[in-house]
Amino acid sequence: MTTQPSVKTVTVTVDGVSLSVPEGTLLVEAAKQIQEDIPVYCYHTKLGPAGLCRICLVEIEKMPKLQIACNTVVTDGMVVHTASDKTMEGRRAVLEFLLLNHPLDCPICDKGGECDLQDFSMAYGQGASRKVEAKVAKPKAVDLGPTIVLDEERCIVCQRCVRFDDIITQERSLVVKDRGHRDIIATSTEEPYVSDFSGNVTELCPVGALTSKTYRFKSRPWDLNRTKTTCTQCSVGCQLYVDERYGDVLRTMSVAEDETSDGWLCDRGRYNIGFYNDPQRIASPLLRRGDEWEQIGWDDAVALWARQIREARDTTGPESIGVIGGGRLLNEEAFLLQHLFRSLGVENLDWRAGRQTVATPVFSGTYEELEAAQTILVFGVPPSQTAPVMDLRIRKAVVQRGARLVTVGPHSSGSSVTETHVRRVADIPSDAFDAERIAVVFDGIDATPMRDLHERFAELKRAGKSLIGFIPGEQPNARGAEAMGMLPRDGGRGTREVFSAAKDGGIRVLSLFGVNPALRFADGALATAALERTPFIVLSELFLTDTARFASLVLPAHGPFERDGHVLDMTGRVQRLFAAHAAPGGALSDGEMLVALADALDIEIPSPSALTARARAPEKRAMPRGEIRAAAPGGEAALRVIIRSDIFAGGGTVYHDERLEELRPRPIATLHPRTAQALGVAAGDLVDVIAGDRALRGLIVRVADAASEGTIRVVDGLPGAPANVLFDGEEVQVTKLEPAAPLAAAGAVAG
Amino acid sequence: MQLEKILTAGIGELDLCDIAVYREQGGYAQFERAVKELQPAAIVDIAAKSGLRGRGGAGFPTGRKWQFLPNNGRPRYMVCNCDEAEPGTFKDRMLLEYTPHQIIEGILIGTYAIGSRHAYMYIRGEFKRGYETFMKALEQARAADYVGERLFGSDYSVELTVHRGAGAYICGEETALLNSLEGKRGEPRLKPPFPAIKGLYGEPTVVNNVETLGYLPHILRRGPEWFAGVGTPKSTGYKIVSMSGHVQKPGNYEIPLGLPMRTLVYDIAGGLPPGRKFMGIQPGGGSSACLFEEHLDLGYDYEALAGAGSMLGSGAAVVFDDTTDFVKAAHSLVRFFAHESCGQCTPCREGGNWLEMTLERMLHGRGVESDVDMLVDVSHSMTGINLCPLGDSIEPFLASVVKRFPEQFYAYVRTPQTAVAV
Ligand SMILES: Cc1cc2nc3c(=O)[nH]c(=O)nc-3n(C[C@H](O)[C@H](O)[C@H](O)COP(=O)(O)O)c2cc1C
Ligand code: SF4
Ligand code: SF4
Ligand code: SF4
Ligand code: FES
Repeated sequence: MTTQPSVKTVTVTVDGVSLSVPEGTLLVEAAKQIQEDIPVYCYHTKLGPAGLCRICLVEIEKMPKLQIACNTVVTDGMVVHTASDKTMEGRRAVLEFLLLNHPLDCPICDKGGECDLQDFSMAYGQGASRKVEAKVAKPKAVDLGPTIVLDEERCIVCQRCVRFDDIITQERSLVVKDRGHRDIIATSTEEPYVSDFSGNVTELCPVGALTSKTYRFKSRPWDLNRTKTTCTQCSVGCQLYVDERYGDVLRTMSVAEDETSDGWLCDRGRYNIGFYNDPQRIASPLLRRGDEWEQIGWDDAVALWARQIREARDTTGPESIGVIGGGRLLNEEAFLLQHLFRSLGVENLDWRAGRQTVATPVFSGTYEELEAAQTILVFGVPPSQTAPVMDLRIRKAVVQRGARLVTVGPHSSGSSVTETHVRRVADIPSDAFDAERIAVVFDGIDATPMRDLHERFAELKRAGKSLIGFIPGEQPNARGAEAMGMLPRDGGRGTREVFSAAKDGGIRVLSLFGVNPALRFADGALATAALERTPFIVLSELFLTDTARFASLVLPAHGPFERDGHVLDMTGRVQRLFAAHAAPGGALSDGEMLVALADALDIEIPSPSALTARARAPEKRAMPRGEIRAAAPGGEAALRVIIRSDIFAGGGTVYHDERLEELRPRPIATLHPRTAQALGVAAGDLVDVIAGDRALRGLIVRVADAASEGTIRVVDGLPGAPANVLFDGEEVQVTKLEPAAPLAAAGAVAG
Repeated sequence: MQLEKILTAGIGELDLCDIAVYREQGGYAQFERAVKELQPAAIVDIAAKSGLRGRGGAGFPTGRKWQFLPNNGRPRYMVCNCDEAEPGTFKDRMLLEYTPHQIIEGILIGTYAIGSRHAYMYIRGEFKRGYETFMKALEQARAADYVGERLFGSDYSVELTVHRGAGAYICGEETALLNSLEGKRGEPRLKPPFPAIKGLYGEPTVVNNVETLGYLPHILRRGPEWFAGVGTPKSTGYKIVSMSGHVQKPGNYEIPLGLPMRTLVYDIAGGLPPGRKFMGIQPGGGSSACLFEEHLDLGYDYEALAGAGSMLGSGAAVVFDDTTDFVKAAHSLVRFFAHESCGQCTPCREGGNWLEMTLERMLHGRGVESDVDMLVDVSHSMTGINLCPLGDSIEPFLASVVKRFPEQFYAYVRTPQTAVAV
């Protein structure tokens, strides 16, 4: 038995209440045990003390001056008065100072109603100002970047935003400029404030200085209906609050105490909320009539779907039926999906629809463990673009805990912290494996490096080291889908084989759930050929995506905040979703569609309670076979293409969120300066990237030192510029478009 | 009155910027002796025994400050503070321009004493001439092997890096200075942790004033008892006082601490201009409270001045005669502190500016009677609740002169009227 090193406790008396807390506790934290918190502005549990605002002053016996609670470590026997006359006078003075130059434009301030300056002024302030001079005027409605507006007059210079950008994201673009009462918040470079985590500063800001463009002048907090749910924009599984009014999702907020997200949200999760009521959202089942869509009722739609499935099974057999989906479904739905089709003898079941081939790591770890790792090995697409909030853990591990970050493959991390970047597994510095706690982050795409390191990993395990794996994949619930059985077994075909068969006419009915292989499948040409040849495709979706072009029947589904149920995050933790928004009347959840289909096919399904139980108790699955691609042809390729994810890419919810216009990636090809020079292209040129008879057309050249020489980096998942016409890592040629062509090309891209 | 000169010896007579001249006066011999013969700990002891206190403003015992450094095997740094910008202070500048080698030797002894191998010299940005003089002296010291590798055949090596400020008074505050040295925004750090524990680049660091370090060679040469024997029991040794204001002979004077202020004003600084009447003295820089006629027989030392409600500070004494407009004097100081606030803390950032605007309004004849009380009240509210002492710098002088000369303040608001914004 091991005994924990005993943590000494100290006893402190706060307002007459005796509190026992671990040695080293800050007074501001200790006092949270009593009724009324000590007010703070600059202090934040995750940012630590800064000692700037001085609102947290308290009286401590035996100390002549008031002390700030945020930087006072409690000691045994300390006696604190948080509401004495002296304390109150200190607070009153600080608030008077804060309000001297504050515009008090509460009636038009988004923070009104949840503003710490309002609240503390009401609680501790005085009624009227003694200042007669005009207030200091500063810029208002400053366009800080694509997401944030700043009102310098409202800013109380608590520096929380600056410290978040420094301590948490390590990006350091926000600074305090100028001095004294003239100081303002700005970016160090005068460039826009661009960060994938920018929205967090609007929550940290205790006043209405930093506001989200998406939420400006939209509502008052007391008019919002709040629901706590799980973000399913990626596989991290952050908890968030969804604030809705009159059927509109107006904003999302982080959950401070959430262990998954550590209290932060990325901008994709936070801001991609404008699509729910988009006019292009499908509102009823659509049946293809030539080039037209005909709206039909659900009964007809389900009957048609059931009839197609039955006919296929009875004539060409269950192997002529395919099902792809699950990574965007709830566990309940994924389980129901495979149950239903397996009951029909169908084994062509797979959640994989893009590049990702595996979702469940052999050795799972928690995010807390990731943070404690000493070596973090990242393979493939960097998590900054697939699981942003997880990347914050990596940054924390590196900066605050001294972990070593090693990225392997063609991508460097895209993170803001120091990394060692190597191209090949063989180049991983061998002392990286000397650490006791090693975390492996793998994009789940090309499993070759995992196979190559298999022996090494086994050895580390034998040596008793902590080795944990994370697969931040492309779909939020891929791991749940795997655990619920949405993988082929017993001779069934996976997505690639289904597509190969379909290309040759071997698939009659293909049911797709929230997947967009036309844009996302790694072999775009194969996917397109397969979809073209398949006679009957049913697609459950929110929008008419690139894949919908091939569908016979499109079924309107529920979006992320319209779902009730469970998913697994990438660590295997069960996360709960609560519906926060009513889906359009014509839409059904995938679960409801499946229940209706089961009914039409006379298939018995588990009761709702049995389903829920199943969804909460996922099977532990060994790592399924990740695909090993043929090693990219070695030797002297002049130019290889690297396909990179971007959190704001995709043909679905971001593409149909008009508020995110500015954030959507443009079709850009990134080249190293020397590579650009060798190709004779310059920044801003338009180029085609060609491989044999396939081409990705009309890309805008960007030149960046950070790019690898001899590569051209393109963005995955852009409607109008589908990178999946190319194979990641293949040799390509580049042709520059003549100056006359750009307009046409740009038009093609925009379309 | 004849005073013994220690730090100021030879200034105006010898070219002490020339290393040869400095060495003729015994220069660098104490540093050489320290490295060759004395253990660092012994020098710390000597400093402690001498009773030497920081001459930068806070008056903290130097030996004790050095003893705070943890024995953690980490690199440690000595930083010499030559950012001198306290209103009325001009002693460090004189030392810099006229006797730079003495500073270098003091820095080197201090650096050796705290077991450091890297010292930094932070020079106020406006001291262009002093900077150039210092750089030349440093070159000479380097050429003469007082700075560099394996000095005097020992295995002690030391580096001295010079950094220039950019004109912010707040960078004289030791932790703001460290931020500035690190290339960060010059704003004070939250304490604890103190620099002794977590200073420059996060390592144990001592920040000492130019004058403080300058006394080290002399204390080593003449022994700690000599220094401790001068002055009062708690304020030992000598201090350079920058005398200015309404005196006939303004300038820097090195005095034994405890000298009566009357002697300082009338004998040493030549008294007031003919026919003028003494009204007050601000004895220790812009942030010290004004003292008056009844205080003149107090000794000029840390305890006596603190006992009278003021302080010795950096040793900058400004004398006021009966032509003084104390409203204007207060306004000038308030404006300075408001302008130099780094802006981190709410009270300092907002309060200073408010007081400045109020005084300005009064000077423009738009004050109201209640403004006088408000000046005292607001300056009091903003004091004692800031991160660094700058925010507490306005109250002492303002409150002391309002209290002493209320009629001067009411004169500006005598005609009752309602307040109007400027
Ligand atoms: C606003 C402010 C300005 C200061 N300016 C200086 C300065 O110019 N020079 C200086 O030596 N100390 C200055 N100090 C004091 C330093 O913080 C520090 O106490 C001193 O350098 C320590 O050296 P000492 O112990 O040798 O006095 C200042 C303090 C404050 C609060
Ligand atoms: S913008 Fe907001 S968070 Fe940033 S310093 Fe100002 S008040 Fe604080
Ligand atoms: S990291 Fe992923 S789960 Fe978290 S907010 Fe962003 S998209 Fe949502
Ligand atoms: S007291 Fe004034 S100068 Fe000092 S840290 Fe605070 S704001 Fe800056
Ligand atoms: S919360 Fe303590 S100083 Fe701001």
